[in-house]
Formats: sequence, C-alpha cells, structure tokens
Amino acid sequence: MIAVTEFLQTLGPQMLQRTYEHVYLTFLSLIIATAIALPLGVYLTRTRWPALASGVLGLAGVIQTVPSLAMVAYAVTLLALLKTTGAPVPTIGSFPAIVALVLYGLLPILRNTYTGIRQVDPAIIEVARGMGMTARQILLRVELPLSLAIIMAGVRIATVWTIGVAALGGLIGAGGLGDLIMRGLRTVHVGYLLAGSVPASLLALLSDWVLGRVERWLTPPGLRIQPSAAEKGV
Amino acid sequence: MIAFEHVCKTYPGGVEAVRDLCMEVREGETLVLLGTSGSGKTTTMKMVNRLIDPTSGRILIDGSDVMEIDPIELRRKIGYAIQNIGLFPHMTVAENIAVVPRLLRWSRQQIDERVVQLLAMVDLEPDEFRDRYPAQLSGGQKQRVGVARALAADPPIVLMDEPFGALDPITREQLQNEFLELESEIQKTVIFVTHDVFEAVKMADRIALLDAGRLQQLSGPAELVESPADEFVEQFLGQHRFQLSLLTRTVRTIMPAAAAGPHPAGVPAVRVRARGSLVEALDLFKQTSQAELPVYAGRQFLGRLEKQRLLKEIAKSLGSTGARE
Repeated sequence: MIAVTEFLQTLGPQMLQRTYEHVYLTFLSLIIATAIALPLGVYLTRTRWPALASGVLGLAGVIQTVPSLAMVAYAVTLLALLKTTGAPVPTIGSFPAIVALVLYGLLPILRNTYTGIRQVDPAIIEVARGMGMTARQILLRVELPLSLAIIMAGVRIATVWTIGVAALGGLIGAGGLGDLIMRGLRTVHVGYLLAGSVPASLLALLSDWVLGRVERWLTPPGLRIQPSAAEKGV
Repeated sequence: MIAFEHVCKTYPGGVEAVRDLCMEVREGETLVLLGTSGSGKTTTMKMVNRLIDPTSGRILIDGSDVMEIDPIELRRKIGYAIQNIGLFPHMTVAENIAVVPRLLRWSRQQIDERVVQLLAMVDLEPDEFRDRYPAQLSGGQKQRVGVARALAADPPIVLMDEPFGALDPITREQLQNEFLELESEIQKTVIFVTHDVFEAVKMADRIALLDAGRLQQLSGPAELVESPADEFVEQFLGQHRFQLSLLTRTVRTIMPAAAAGPHPAGVPAVRVRARGSLVEALDLFKQTSQAELPVYAGRQFLGRLEKQRLLKEIAKSLGSTGARE
C-alpha cells in the first residue's frame, strides 16, 4: 500500500501528463481518420465502378498488414523525404505519429461504413426513391440511420487499435504513454513500464466501453426491438 | 388519365420486359396488372413513377409525358405501397406515414392531424399505434400502415405492388375487403400489381393480363372470365374458371330492374352489397340463415334476394361456363 502511494507520488504527475498526450494523439488521429473514411466509404457505395471500391478497400487492408512499428518508421521516413523537397514538415514529434495512426484507423471505419450502407435492404431504398426522396435525403434519412450502429462499431475498433499503436509514439518523441514504456525499457525499470502500460490498457478498456454505449445509443430504437416481441393478431 | 403509348422496356442484357404496351388507365378506376413473374407487370408499374424509365414509347399522366416531369416531384404526387418490407424500420408508425408530407413541407400540426386521420381510416387506434415501431406490429398491421402511408399526401394516383402478398389468407381477405371499402370512399386511380387471379378479380375494375411483356387482354373481371380473348388467357385462368365466374358475377346482375318488396326503413346492418359477388351473398345467407335478404347499392335499396333464386342463378352460372369448355 505504501509502495503504491510512493509510486504514484513520484510518477503520478508524469502519468497524468503522458495520458493526456496519449488521449490527444489518439483522438486527433481518430477524428482525422473518420473525417476521411466516412465520406470515402459513402462515396464507394455510390461509385459506378465496383472495382474502385474493392481496390480502395483492398489498399486499406494492405496498410493494415504493415507492422505498426514499421508504419511509424515509414511515416518518419516519408516525411523526411518530403522535407528534402523543401516541404515544411516535422519529421519527429507528434506529427509523424498522427500520420501513422490515421493510416491505421482508416480501415475499420472505411470498411464498416461501406458494408454498413451496403447491408441496407435495397427494397427499403427503392421505397424511399418511390416516395420521392432525393439521393441526399435517402442517405441522411434512411441509409445512415440504418447503418450508424455498424459505422460506430468500426470507430470503436479503430479507437482500441489506435490507443495500442499510439504507444509506439514514444519511439519518435511524440509523447504519450509510450514515452514511459520506452524509459522503462531503457532503464530496465518495472515501475515505468507499469506507469505506461496500465493506463494505456485502462484507456483502451474505457473507450471500448464508452463507445459501446454510444453505439447502442445510436442504434435506432426501432432496430433494438426484436421482431419476436411483436404483438400477434391483425 | 394515365396513358401508355407503345411503351417498351428492354433491360441491359436484352431482356424485353415490356413490349409495345398501349393502354389507358381511367380516372378513379382500379386497374390490376395481372401476370406471372417475368410478365412485366412490376416493370410496367414502376415506369409510372419513373423508378424505371421506358426504353421507348411514352407514358402520359393527364396529358403530360412523365419523362418531362422531375422524377422527385412526380413521385411525391403518386402514392406507393409494396409488399410487407416497405416500412422504414427505424421510424415509428407516425414517422413512416409522415414521410411524404414532410418532404412536401407540411406544417407539424397538419402532419399530426393527417396521421391521426389516416390511422383511424385503416382501423388502427391512433393513440395506441402512433409511436410503435414496425417490429412491434403484426403483418396485417404493417400492411395497414403501408396503405396509410401511400395515401398520406392524398395523391390522385396510388401504385400498389402486391401489397397483401405476404399475409395469411384470412388477414389478406380482411385487408382486401377493407381496402375495397376505403377505395369506394376515396376514389383514387389505383394501379395494383398481383399474380393472384382471385385477388385480381376481387380488387379490379379492369384487369390487364400480361404475359412475357405483352398485354394479352384488358377487360373487366367478368369479361375476362366469361370471354377470354384467346387460348393463353383461357389457360391462365385454367381450372379456376368455375370459381372465378361466381366471384365475377355481381348480385346486381341477378336483381330485377325495379325494386321489389316493401322498402325497409333506414339501412339495415345485415344487407347484401349489389357490387358483391354471388359467393359473397351466399356466405351471408349461410351466416344469417335467413330465407331472404335486402340488397343495397351503397345506401340505395334495390330489392330483396331470396336464397332459392341465388342458388338457382349460381347453378345456371356454373352451367354456362362449363358448357363452353
């Protein structure tokens, strides 16, 4: 008990600071990833070329297979190359980390947006057309409400992954909880390792739980009801 | 009111769904498009609200070519109901009914009033059903909401694609009867798609029988059954012709021209509909075990029908259809 208090007294302020950085890195990356993947996913359901959709989804899948360590290294290298052409981009710190995290977060959101919208019953969409909805109204009033829960599930997966991968930011001076873990590794100090990894795990669990609630909350009430509960009779 | 002029539809890949269709749907009538799957009946219907565009030919609504009307505007003025799946699962009953009025930017109050009125019209207690979701409704209730939704903005034309197709026979019969009654009050031009010849005969003012994209016969139900235009139509009706002939002959056809018997005071609850079929009248005799019943066309008294005479007419009717086979 005394050990824990002492531990928190020495490392507590650092843990708070690093946790804040970690959250900042993850959430900024997720917002950017969503801002790219959501409209792109919607677009892919509408394109006249099905090959484009499978191509883009395939590419996003390939990005996902790159080991996270390599992804961070790629991001740094890529930005360094860009810098030699004179572009004003930082090669260390949070910027390359965010680039890597955005690339990582894209796939689950993109794939779930695409499949979420594609799974809406075509008959429902035809009725919406038949009633005189414009393409935009069909998207906003029918397709998105009916796929929101699936899209949110994608965001949730991306969040949990990103929180894990963001720990690698410690390698390139992006801050975050990875910084404490790296220090623990260099100094062979279990305290630092714990100070970095326990909050990261808790953060992942907490986000998963919160987003699970959001997902449920976003599910239209009409879809939460099981048809078996329907009243019988005419 | 709706005119098809040499309408053809060929799908990419070469399937000719509709071939050179010429016909007119009259104002206020219920025209049933009857045929097997692949006959082109649904394609024909969907060309009216431009869910499908014809390859050639023209469709005119009140004289204007639908291809020259903005499809969004056009569809909002045409009611549309399809087989069971049509309700939006994420919207309540009231929201489902309000879709088109909302698109037309009616006021909140106007919409609420209309929802209550429509639910009452299709026999669903507004306070009980307004806030339910489709998943909380039975098949019959869903279909009633579907009908109410199609009528929401009071469109002069209503398209119905097998609206009662997925229901059990008893519920289907009940909804058919209710829709007939409703239809006689609201006077819409209805295009009704079905593959069920009994449903067609029951619902139609006229039936357009389609096969492989061609119009085979366009006539009233009685004429279709009694004088099939060709061998195909005869085959299509097949062994059902006996039964159908009883369904298509209305009570009015066997009533004498002048009202006979004492005129009852007021309209009695138990009465035979002049527009009803002989079978319907027979059913009523069975239920009430009366020897004679009053016949009414709407509120107008036409006379009394004796059970004996009805039976004789039914026998005659069967004989005449049989004799021609």
